[in-house]
Amino acid sequence: MLRFWSGAVLRLMAVMLMASFAGAMLMRIAPGFSSDDQELNSGLSAQSIQAIRKAHLADANIPYFYAQYLGALIRGDLGTSRSLNQPVKDLLRERLPTTLVNLAFALTVGWLLGLALAIATQTWEIPSLNFLANGLSGTFISTPAAALALVFLLLRWPPAFAAALLVFPKIYRYTQNLLQQSSEMPHVLTARAKGAGPWRVLAWHVAPIAFPQIIALVGVSISIGIGVLLPIEVVTDVAGIGQLAWQAAQARDLPLLVNLTMVVTFVTVCATLISDAAQQGLKRSAA
Amino acid sequence: MKTIRVAAIAILVLMSLVVLGAHYLAPAGYEQQFRETTEAAPSIHHLLGTDELGRDRWARLLYGMRVSLTLAPLAALFTTVLAGLVGGIAGYFGGWTERCSKLLIDLFLSVPWLFLLITVRAVLPLNVSPEASVTVTFALLGLLGWAASARVICAGAKDLMKSEFVWMARASGFSGLKLVRLHLMPNLRGALLAQFWISIPVFIIAEANLGALGLGVAEPLPSLGSLLRELQDSVMVRPEPWRLLPLAVLIVVISSFQVLLNRQEIRT
Repeated sequence: MLRFWSGAVLRLMAVMLMASFAGAMLMRIAPGFSSDDQELNSGLSAQSIQAIRKAHLADANIPYFYAQYLGALIRGDLGTSRSLNQPVKDLLRERLPTTLVNLAFALTVGWLLGLALAIATQTWEIPSLNFLANGLSGTFISTPAAALALVFLLLRWPPAFAAALLVFPKIYRYTQNLLQQSSEMPHVLTARAKGAGPWRVLAWHVAPIAFPQIIALVGVSISIGIGVLLPIEVVTDVAGIGQLAWQAAQARDLPLLVNLTMVVTFVTVCATLISDAAQQGLKRSAA
Repeated sequence: MKTIRVAAIAILVLMSLVVLGAHYLAPAGYEQQFRETTEAAPSIHHLLGTDELGRDRWARLLYGMRVSLTLAPLAALFTTVLAGLVGGIAGYFGGWTERCSKLLIDLFLSVPWLFLLITVRAVLPLNVSPEASVTVTFALLGLLGWAASARVICAGAKDLMKSEFVWMARASGFSGLKLVRLHLMPNLRGALLAQFWISIPVFIIAEANLGALGLGVAEPLPSLGSLLRELQDSVMVRPEPWRLLPLAVLIVVISSFQVLLNRQEIRT
């Protein structure tokens, strides 16, 4: 277990360093990095425009920028947003809870809906229920997050529910697939042949095999949740991390973007590590 | 289920024909403006009415489908080649090469890629031409969407390298290139093809998200994503439900792809 955790922490650190560096690199090599919309502002003096250009030049040297950034990060300083003129830490403190609450709601509802429908279709085997569940998951897996957010905006429904509906198909399809595979195993068929009821077969024979693999989906679902929340927050005007990233990207605010990338990546990697550890633990206890 | 699959194939074939014949089916060019009839309701002249600039919505839908349904497969091809290279090399060599590749794959899987895509797309200059914007958008999709496929290919290549026929081939003195050409590539073809088909709907959706947020294909060139921007005028959607047609087309196309994808293939 110690080996697993030390390996996991090393992986986390490597991924975090690579993510932040890649984010900075992408910003730098993308055309248009050195230009700023504010340079077109006729109200600014030549000195102000020169100062804006100078600020861009300092960020242009990636190793220098990155060394400075990492040093500050170790001291707990996330820098200042150039476009919003506020410490990044404060912006994160303001916006992160909104996104986390929406993410928690989306994941809870998405998982409950996905698991409930997968278990129901597998246990009862009613063709109409199967058709309904497949139709629902097919529809939502085929709908872009931004479009569903627009529909929700039109209907004045809570945006977090739109995120839940976009997370649910992945959970439903994966779980149903696993339950299907597990229920075709010889010992499950034997249990059925001996007259065990569907719920007993599910609880005692199918779930113990499928559960550890379903747990592995937790990390992936968090990544999906964050991904779909971004356009939803932008379209429905929710003041969360997604909307902040959108504003930062439009203003080419590198410090803010790099920090947001780091936070999102950190949350996703940690969730994946925890779900991997839970999966390992469950497999070990089952063995 | 067979009927649904046949229907899905029929829909995709029909859409492909529409895409190919867009030039003949469209009553006007996608950028042609009818300034006397802006915001017009559907009529014989304009099947879906006109937008606020007087452009024929039906023509824009046809050309938008052409852009999305032609370039998404190209981006999928690009990403599959990339995934095949990274995953194949990692699985073939193993050891440190595999560990480094997996770290890179983990990195790309950890950052929600729509996040990355929006970020990169947003820093592009504002004055790019429509052709450049469409190329950049789909090239970015191809460049950033390879990681999940690479993981599958890596696992497949690794399994193959442990198989008896590969050991026998090695014992018979097959060189690395010959081994790849005669044993790895033919056996990985199925997985690569599956990843290609999986990537197409994913890229169409990603482009739609970018387009709806105003970061996709630049005006006046339409795409299925950029046509969704009209829905942002939510007040007008209720009295003019035909504005929802691009969204309906998008859902039908993606659903058809999803139906055709085997359950095993759409597993995470």
